[in-house]
Amino acid sequence: MGVLQVKLRRDLRRSRTQVLGIVVTVFLGVMLFGATYDAYQSLGASYDAMFQRVGFADLWVTAAPEGLEGALAADPAVAVAEVRHTIDVPFRIGDRRLLGRVVGVPSGATVNRVMLLEGDMFDPTAADQVVADQHLVGAFGLEVGDTIDVATPAGWQSVTITGVGASAEYLWPARSRQEILALPDQFGVLYAPDRAVAAAGPAAVREVVARLDPTVDPEVELPRLEALVRDRGGGDVSTRAQQPSNAALQEDVQAFGEMSFMFPVLFLGAAGLGMWVLLTRLVVAQRAIIGTLRAEGMSRRRVFGHYLAFGVGTGIVGAVPGAAAGAGLALLIARAYTGAIDVPITVVRVTPSTPVIGIAFGLVGGALAAWAPARRAMSLQPAEAMRGPAPTGRGRMTLLERLWPRGLSAGTRLVIRNAVRNPRRTVATALGVTSGLTLILVSWGMLDTVQVLLERQFRQIVQADAQVAFLDPGMDVGRLGDVEGVAAVEPVVQAPVSLAVGDETYGTVLWGFERETVMHRFLGPSDEELGLGGGMLVGVDLRDLLGVAEGEMVTVRFGSTGEVVAVPIAGFVDEPLGTRAYLDLATLRAEAPRAASVGRQAMVRYEPGADPEAVRRALESVPGVAAVVPTRALEAAADEYMGLFYAFVGVMLALGAGLALVLVFNTMTVNLAERTVEVATMRAEGVSARRLAKLITAENLVVMAAATVPGLVVADLVAVAFMASFDSDLFTFTLHIRPLTFVWTALSILVAGVISQRPGLRTLRSLDVARVVRERSV
Amino acid sequence: MADPVVTAVRLGKTYGTGDVAVSALAGIDLEIESGTFVVLSGPSGSGKTTLLNLVGAIDVPTEGSITVDGVRLDGLDGEERTRFRREHVGFVFQFFNLIPTLTALENVQLIAEMTGRDGEGPAREALEAVGIGDRADRFPAALSGGEQQRVAIARAVAKRPRVLLADEPTGSLDLATGRVVLGVLRRLNRERAMTVLLVTHNTAIAEMADRVIRLRDGRIVSDVSNPAPVGADRLEW
Repeated sequence: MGVLQVKLRRDLRRSRTQVLGIVVTVFLGVMLFGATYDAYQSLGASYDAMFQRVGFADLWVTAAPEGLEGALAADPAVAVAEVRHTIDVPFRIGDRRLLGRVVGVPSGATVNRVMLLEGDMFDPTAADQVVADQHLVGAFGLEVGDTIDVATPAGWQSVTITGVGASAEYLWPARSRQEILALPDQFGVLYAPDRAVAAAGPAAVREVVARLDPTVDPEVELPRLEALVRDRGGGDVSTRAQQPSNAALQEDVQAFGEMSFMFPVLFLGAAGLGMWVLLTRLVVAQRAIIGTLRAEGMSRRRVFGHYLAFGVGTGIVGAVPGAAAGAGLALLIARAYTGAIDVPITVVRVTPSTPVIGIAFGLVGGALAAWAPARRAMSLQPAEAMRGPAPTGRGRMTLLERLWPRGLSAGTRLVIRNAVRNPRRTVATALGVTSGLTLILVSWGMLDTVQVLLERQFRQIVQADAQVAFLDPGMDVGRLGDVEGVAAVEPVVQAPVSLAVGDETYGTVLWGFERETVMHRFLGPSDEELGLGGGMLVGVDLRDLLGVAEGEMVTVRFGSTGEVVAVPIAGFVDEPLGTRAYLDLATLRAEAPRAASVGRQAMVRYEPGADPEAVRRALESVPGVAAVVPTRALEAAADEYMGLFYAFVGVMLALGAGLALVLVFNTMTVNLAERTVEVATMRAEGVSARRLAKLITAENLVVMAAATVPGLVVADLVAVAFMASFDSDLFTFTLHIRPLTFVWTALSILVAGVISQRPGLRTLRSLDVARVVRERSV
Repeated sequence: MADPVVTAVRLGKTYGTGDVAVSALAGIDLEIESGTFVVLSGPSGSGKTTLLNLVGAIDVPTEGSITVDGVRLDGLDGEERTRFRREHVGFVFQFFNLIPTLTALENVQLIAEMTGRDGEGPAREALEAVGIGDRADRFPAALSGGEQQRVAIARAVAKRPRVLLADEPTGSLDLATGRVVLGVLRRLNRERAMTVLLVTHNTAIAEMADRVIRLRDGRIVSDVSNPAPVGADRLEW
């Protein structure tokens, strides 16, 4: 080992606490990159394997006209097109009632096959046999051979479970894109012979499902096929990307993909900042030594390489174990996640290039962090060797002193001037504070946002306590008002629709409410209350998705009945969950009477103080009621759905707080270390360690407090961008940070700063003044 | 007369331009023979450190020419000046500038390695030459000021330069320690025929020099040979 390498090793050891902080940060960044990137790959591969196995469709057409399957099958881009039927009907399991869907599986189906996990497939000729979806079985503890009651126009009909299955369409058991939060005990799926489903009556929806030829480009072919479907008489078209379960799961896959980018950016950015602060201080401290080495003939390149090696070496030391740990963690995440979602096929993919990229991240990050200080070292002139240790920075009168020339004590002046005397140090501290604030605020902001948005959805917008589905859509809604504990009842209509403007279409759910409804509030983007009437209210995301403005006409096609109407846009509602459409009941009944009849339901509000569970049971026992979905259950479902998210953000918050502490600690330690000679001189002059500690603490707090305001602004902007990456038409993640969160975040950073100073201050208290003078080095 | 190791012709150095131009060295002519112990003295701002820097190729002249150890320095680019410093001159500064994380031996070895003198041998030899071979494995913090300066001298001579440039080498030392350091420089000058240019404010040190050059306002105001230099141990200040 060359002497320069010995110096490198010992210099690193001398700053071991700060270096360890940086190494750990790099380790975490690279580990989380490896874990999330490989988890991202594994999840994608698991879904792909499942899709391949069951022949997951590329295109769905609901309410498909006769003959469409033939036209699609004849298209060269389509490998296969099949007809099937689905029907949404209530289920009864014991004394529980829930919303259900029976999906027809044609004999010899090759598209959207059911993967049998247990038991046998049904007899294709039997009308009373079904395969139950794994989520329904899990939620109610069902077994092969058990029976379930399915609502039919003739009353409840018992069907027997012959097997348990999984479908790519219901890996996440979402009822629709707008009801992504459906819980298995509120919504279940059965698979039955298609012939039996088709014979179930007019409520059965005819669907065409198609798979593309694997050699064609879906980006090109799908829009063309959608146009072909429209030309052939329409139907509600959706693609694999829009399929509810897949769309929800792809959100997660996408989130993992984004995290695999953001983690290294956040952590390696923080590590880079720490390294930059440490190395800049080292170069300043070794100014005279570098000058001497240059005077003795050491080349600029060698000086540059030496200081660059600090960053590269630290990066590699953190990145190599980080890459190994990341590969291991990726296995755990992929298995845990696919297990939690019940994906029957788990493909764990550890890409050899991922650790290599992770190590490259660490290496390049370290090199980038060290680049500027190394260049500064390289540019130092040999004449620096002739200059003794000089105080860092320059003193000057501050604005405050000019404004208040006699009002400030010498101690206060010292604190203020020290805070601004060294721009590099001040900037480094400000960057440390900003990074710390950002790391905490991004995570905390995500928690705040989800809580604020759930509160908005379930407390401010939805005013009903329960949604009631009927066996017979013609049921008298007024009968629900007689139930004890019910304060108000309103009829509503829920209808699957596709909205079209020009060539753009969007599949969603249209809700019909009474014009003066008390069950739902319609809030615009600025929280303004919108009224029903004069047109349709739609989710604000449609402004971009359909390119539509207020007053423009939208074509509404009702999936269940095929009715088509044109309605003007009356306004845009801002709702966190889903992107729905709303119309007043009177207009809906007049424009689409059949859809208004088929989708008829009720919304109910409970008496204050009523026992929600008792009211739910009482409502379910009313003859003609098919299912009761309590709003609180949906809210709880949303909370549960966010469980993984909370866990992730919680970990991120903990890591962010730890990282912030490391950053602030490094910055503070360097701030103190830079002034060892200066402090030693003051100690020699008789200034007490306690007073010095107070002055330095005050000075650091002044700089940190001053950096907090711009730091919070930057942190807020980063949090907005971070949150926006999760935004979609399924979930509107507009950042909402509570004012107190800003206060606590700022306070936590200031406290971290005060704590971080303690080791440095302890060192100053036990400073060997004589040694510092003798060594003349900080 | 021996061959000159330093030849300066109308050597000048001006810092800044226009109204703020400051002439640090105003066209001096100078020849220094190989193996001479030269003291450059004069008040602050007289140009002595500037001259040392030009001889050592730390700085470049704005006028005239300078040749050191057969190498014409004016006109060299940065890389060439670095190579020149590596191969021809050694520096000793007032502040020892030792690397605190390296032992005395390693501090010297680092510089010796640059000129291909690998291994501990040349570094140990240099430390022996300055009389602190027994302190080789100590870190700078465990050495006295005089010992640190001798390590700095060993560092400068380990690469066996023809010219040793010392800028106030005793500026931070007491009399006794200063005498020891000066004695080391003198011994190296004699034993290795190494030319020494020593910049100092201390007029007493002139007594041990072969030649004393005084500067003022960037000009040489006296250039005197000393036929009977005294030993460093006899200096008083």
